[in-house]
Amino acid sequence: MTNRAGFVRETFTALRKDSLGMTGLVIVVTILLLTLFASILSPYDPLEVDVYNRLVGPSWQHWLGTDQLGRDVLSRVLYGGRVALKVSLVAISVSMAAGLLLGMMAGFGPKWLDRVLVICFDTLRSFPTIMFALSIVALTGPSLNTVIGIIIITSIPVYGRIVRTQTQAMRDNDFILAERAMGASTAHILRHHVLPNIAAPLLILASMDVPAVVGMEAGLSFLGLGVSAPTPSWGSILNDGYSYLRNSPWPIIAGGIPLILVTLGFTFFGESLRDILDPKLRGKGGKF
Amino acid sequence: MDKPVLDIRDLSVSFLTERGLLRALRNVNIPIDPGRIVGIVGESGCGKSTLISAIIRLLAPNAQIDSGSILWRGDDLLDLEPDAIRALRGDEISMVFQDPMTSLNPVLTIGRQMTDVQHRDNRSKAEKRARATRMLERVGIPDPVEQLDRYPHHLSGGMRQRVAIAMALMTEPGLLIADEPTTALDATLEVQIIHRLQQLQRDFGCAILFISHHLGVIAELCDEVVVMYAGEVVESGSTRDVFLNPRHPYTQKLLDCDPARIKKATRNLPVIGGSLPDLVELPDGCVFRPRCDISIDRCRSERPGLEGSNHCIACHLARQ
Amino acid sequence: MSELLQVNDLRVRFPIKGGLAGILDRERPTHVDVVHGVSLDIRHGETLAVVGESGSGKTTLAMALCGLAPVLDGEVYFDGRLLDKDKNNYLVPDRKRIALMFQDPTGSLSPRMTVRKLLAEPYKIHTGLSDDPDQSALDLLSLVGLGNDFANRYPHQLSGGQARRVGVARALALNPDLLIADEPTAGLDVSIQGEVLNLLADLQQEMGLGIMIITHNLNIVRHVADQMAIMYLGRFLEQGQSGLIFDHPRHPYTAALLAANPSTDPDAASERIELTGEVPGLLKRPRGCEFHTRCPRVQPGCLEQFPDSEGTRAMQAWNCIHPLS
Repeated sequence: MTNRAGFVRETFTALRKDSLGMTGLVIVVTILLLTLFASILSPYDPLEVDVYNRLVGPSWQHWLGTDQLGRDVLSRVLYGGRVALKVSLVAISVSMAAGLLLGMMAGFGPKWLDRVLVICFDTLRSFPTIMFALSIVALTGPSLNTVIGIIIITSIPVYGRIVRTQTQAMRDNDFILAERAMGASTAHILRHHVLPNIAAPLLILASMDVPAVVGMEAGLSFLGLGVSAPTPSWGSILNDGYSYLRNSPWPIIAGGIPLILVTLGFTFFGESLRDILDPKLRGKGGKF
Repeated sequence: MDKPVLDIRDLSVSFLTERGLLRALRNVNIPIDPGRIVGIVGESGCGKSTLISAIIRLLAPNAQIDSGSILWRGDDLLDLEPDAIRALRGDEISMVFQDPMTSLNPVLTIGRQMTDVQHRDNRSKAEKRARATRMLERVGIPDPVEQLDRYPHHLSGGMRQRVAIAMALMTEPGLLIADEPTTALDATLEVQIIHRLQQLQRDFGCAILFISHHLGVIAELCDEVVVMYAGEVVESGSTRDVFLNPRHPYTQKLLDCDPARIKKATRNLPVIGGSLPDLVELPDGCVFRPRCDISIDRCRSERPGLEGSNHCIACHLARQ
Repeated sequence: MSELLQVNDLRVRFPIKGGLAGILDRERPTHVDVVHGVSLDIRHGETLAVVGESGSGKTTLAMALCGLAPVLDGEVYFDGRLLDKDKNNYLVPDRKRIALMFQDPTGSLSPRMTVRKLLAEPYKIHTGLSDDPDQSALDLLSLVGLGNDFANRYPHQLSGGQARRVGVARALALNPDLLIADEPTAGLDVSIQGEVLNLLADLQQEMGLGIMIITHNLNIVRHVADQMAIMYLGRFLEQGQSGLIFDHPRHPYTAALLAANPSTDPDAASERIELTGEVPGLLKRPRGCEFHTRCPRVQPGCLEQFPDSEGTRAMQAWNCIHPLS
């Protein structure tokens, strides 16, 4: 395990030298902390209705104003972060795990399996996401779990495809052949030799995927296909504020800023992670 | 005697690394006279690649030139503007690499690539094609007209290397730099290529800087040899002098290691003990001393310079 | 001494993916015979060197013997026992007893594993051979002359010679009887090449290993091999005791190869038989003796059929109807 700790430290040292990546990391960590401690940090109950103070602008009582039901927007944004976090965490880890499994099966398994899986991936990817989401919601009714399910189903092919390509590129490498010559089983090779080598690109992809998933949740919730009525989510905040945009832009601005920050934070972080984890750019410090 | 086409004088190059300054080349002197074939021998880490990069001015961004000059027909290449260097690279200095595919474009036909290199000429397309055909013929490619319409992957390794040489000679350069051009080839093809190079050198009169770690190839092809070790020239002179009468301990050991020179079959091949010095923290005195069997106290404190008029040796003990 | 490995008339054929070209061009071959009938013997404690130009099928031969390439035809006996083939026609060798060393010393080491892990791995794949894989890894490291401080390095932190030593250690971890080494000195400097070959020779003496070295470097063959075989377009053109072949090659190709070796003596009057022409591709095998397109001694009879083997394999055998006398 000392190796892994060393690896993390090394990565972090390299990250510290990259100001953009560091900015990304700071944004990401801040957002994570704010949402994790939403229950402590929120000045109000995000569901508490106060009809006497509808649509007020920012003030000392309500830093980001209130919405059309007089709910505190700051509290709703903080709690909404929880939804975003839950969706991205669950959806990305499940689709990454499934994509990893299926992609490695396609990349390393027999040819017929590869063909079947690639056809499945491509079929799934060819559905327009919104149409797909609409039809699923029509069947099940809007809920957070439906959103997560939709995102998982549409993301698996993306991860699966990438894992498949990476695995295939790996499979004819000398070191994989050397393992086979030594008598290693396919499972052993996949776990100990393929996985560690494709993990880095996959993690980068996942970190860049967070904003997309958060945006997708917000989009679906904005269309009323996501979280149901009182639960705050960045998408539903935007949806609520949308009708009152002309009189009170606060809810829209407050719901939009975290989306922008998440996108920027994870993109900066992911990009700099990519540069750091690329073994060609690391290690010997370049060819002399 | 003619002035050298390329004269590397007292060149020192180092790289800024995380550990400190890596001194890849130190006070290297290599004059290349017109029409001569000069071979550079040395093992990995001796600075061959850095030297080539310095000549064609394609050093890594973390490199710095500490001292010296590289004179091309009297002008210092290190002072030239990037545009002038680019013009020189295509026109006067050509290169052939170990892997011919690095200089051939896989998606263009041989003919197209060979006419493209003549872009500076004001000739008609047909004339350029005819020139390309003649050049392919001269490097020993059978049915050159047919080959013009083929793609690099249609050709065998030996043929590709010939095409790469033909392309390098299209502009009739003053200097051809060949970086291990035969390493990827087999013995029989290797011999064919080096004989062809010798022939072409006589026809075109260009100088050739030939880099290889294959001692036999150098001995067979080159007029002069430069032996490099850990970023320094340790011995240089005519091929005959250096190979028949090696005087630097490193050259001697290197030649001893060549299994081709050991006529009697042995299961115990000679090796050079120890390893290359750390180029960041160089030892004082002679750079080869830690691996040398005959070193004296002076070798520990004083770095030997390259001395001699024709056969030069950088060793305190060689003059005795 | 008994035969450790006996190969009779081994053939390896690869299909060629037709694609569009295959439909348009009916004459395009559908398969390529990379190893075209090879027979050889390796005895316990002996070294066979397989010499040939690139593309001659040397590496494929090694792969096939290790069960990494499909076999079309032929029998392989290992220690007297006929090796089975699986349903895809790959040989099923005992992986503990046949070890393979790949050509690229660094590329054949898993890049994200430390040397310690790489060396402990064989014992994790084949459990029951070592109680303490980590300790065995350190033992292997000292066996190949590397200090314990190498244990925590990654492959890219090793020099070519060091990576090659780790490769040797890995190959010997399971205490094999046969080691197949594909170009063990490729990419190594002259001064280090000797180290690796000496190491192999010492270990062979200690462990009684049979070794098959695949190389195109004739200079080392003279020193390391008891037997040698000259491969050209998937066939052996000459094979036998290396001393006999070096002293007195019978096949013109062997003679040309031996003479093609550039010497470091600038005065060596090289009475070289220079071959002309290029190596024909495997797809367009010449008729008859496949070497006739480049042979300086070619005669009309050479085009009729591939010559039968003459002489005895244990001494010197050649496939040529007009051998050198």
